[in-house]
Amino acid sequence: MNETPSKIQNPKSKIIKTENLTKRYNGLTALDDLNLSVEEGAVVGFIGPNGAGKTTTMRILTTLLKPTSGRAWVAGYSVTAEPRQVRRVIGYMPDTFGVYDDMKVWEYLDFFAACYDIPPAVRAHLVDDLLALVDLSHKREEFVENLSRGMKQRLCLARTLAHDPQVLILDEPASGLDPRARIEMRELLRELKNMGKTIFFSSHILSEVADVCTSLAILEAGRLVAFGDVATMRQQIRPHRVIHTRTLGDVNVLLERLAAVPEVAEVATGPEMNLPPGAVRFTFRGDEAALGRTLAGLVSAGVPIVSFSEESGNLEDVFIQMTKGVVS
Amino acid sequence: MQNLLHNPVTVKELRGRMRGRRAFVLLTGHVLLMSAFIWLVYLAYAAAANSPFGPDANQAGKVVAAAVLTIQVFLVIFIGPAFTAGAISGEKERKTYDLLQTTLLPAHALVTGKLLSALSYVFLLILAAVPLQSIAFWLGGVALSELILSQLLVMVAAVLFALLGLFFSSLMRSTIAASVTTYTSALFLTVGVPLVAMIALSFLGPFLFGSGSVPDVMQVFLIHAGVLLAATNLPAALLTSEIILLEEGTLWAFKTTVGSYTVWVLSPWYLNLFLYALLALLLYWLTVRRVRRVADK
Repeated sequence: MNETPSKIQNPKSKIIKTENLTKRYNGLTALDDLNLSVEEGAVVGFIGPNGAGKTTTMRILTTLLKPTSGRAWVAGYSVTAEPRQVRRVIGYMPDTFGVYDDMKVWEYLDFFAACYDIPPAVRAHLVDDLLALVDLSHKREEFVENLSRGMKQRLCLARTLAHDPQVLILDEPASGLDPRARIEMRELLRELKNMGKTIFFSSHILSEVADVCTSLAILEAGRLVAFGDVATMRQQIRPHRVIHTRTLGDVNVLLERLAAVPEVAEVATGPEMNLPPGAVRFTFRGDEAALGRTLAGLVSAGVPIVSFSEESGNLEDVFIQMTKGVVS
Repeated sequence: MQNLLHNPVTVKELRGRMRGRRAFVLLTGHVLLMSAFIWLVYLAYAAAANSPFGPDANQAGKVVAAAVLTIQVFLVIFIGPAFTAGAISGEKERKTYDLLQTTLLPAHALVTGKLLSALSYVFLLILAAVPLQSIAFWLGGVALSELILSQLLVMVAAVLFALLGLFFSSLMRSTIAASVTTYTSALFLTVGVPLVAMIALSFLGPFLFGSGSVPDVMQVFLIHAGVLLAATNLPAALLTSEIILLEEGTLWAFKTTVGSYTVWVLSPWYLNLFLYALLALLLYWLTVRRVRRVADK
């Protein structure tokens, strides 16, 4: 591939960028013209059916695989022309990773920190900090093989942070974990997001993706079928908001007031609609400002509102609408 | 040197290998077995000696030195590669290879680290035999130059055979496949090459030499071919060099006459050193190429 090693325009704003990225294996197209632009500090959930090309994309971004055609940059560095610089700014956690049986937890982190050219004097403190971050300080002298799956996963995540990378590329970070370990992993991702890391992760568990990510990339049969922030995607599949509200007073007063609002439609209440006493569900066709005015109107009219919330669009709905279950 | 000592792979491997009682038990077992073998060889030699004054000390010294050397040769050819045949394929099997590939560790540092950690243990086993070699000195019959030379040859061969294991380990996806190919190649180099040469000679001999006497030119060619063949094979190189030293009194080369030709016959040990060092460098280069990441190629 003829490519000059040059940083892309304004690399700060686009921490990950791909242009017509394609990968073919013996005639089989695993990745087809992928175009992605990820902002710095974003948490991108990369979802798609098995064989959609998620791991292929991640392996190209981590310099483990060469694309057949197209280009990709991480933190402004080309993955094909400047692989060493790319390795310096990424932390990669593959979906299946191994650990060394005959190593202690601190030795494991120390070894990988050394592989990132971190001097011995710095490594001692670094290992302690990383263990504290993933809550494994008490396992410092334990052999890695004796850790639970969840602990190994956290240890591997700590390893990816050894050189303080800007971008974390995590392939199914919560796969095979029990519910508690999954929650711990999710909390850890949130903490890393707060630390300003850009996180690009794949997952099969959509609720997990919805909880953590700011953007969503849906891949199917090697093609990007949707990419954008989660709220916009939900909006796309469900253009109208569904609002749930509840009053402590007479529900009929609430219904009368809502009937006077032109943006309100499909009002439902009562046990036959599976709603508790005083609760009302309605569709709202207006924008956020109109919704705010509606709530203010109800409160100023003396309706004792105790809850007023928008029904969150289910991410499963987004996924099902966007994909057809095709595998390349 | 500083870099070699701080190679993270060497540190990790040695830490794991020398941890606990395993290394101590293995080293003790190795020395005990070697002592028992040498003791048996000495007893057998003493029983066979039919002198009224007991066995000749000089000869006994040579027998002991040869016994220790035999074990060392076996060690570097067949035990050494065991430490390297799974070194890189093991990383692939353990799924740690990708983790290493995304770090800043260069391919040559990974290969050097694996090689050094394996060699340091093999050299430790070789050095553990030095006190036993000193028995040969005590008995006499072995010169210091012979000892140094034999140890040099053994150590260079240890590097070559360790690299052979490392090369196949980088080539194969499984340690079993890497071990099988490594041992097949080591056997071919040690036993196969002389066997093929002997078979070829027995078949081609009648055609080459006819029924009459061997022509002088052919004799000269055969002498050089024999030296070269001995140089490709560690046991043969050691044995032939020792015979030349005893018969001709030289470690380097001697002059002989074949018909009308005057021929300089080289001692095969330095040819062996040169060949093995060259082969080792080639294998090192090929292994680094295999380990280099796809994006770096």
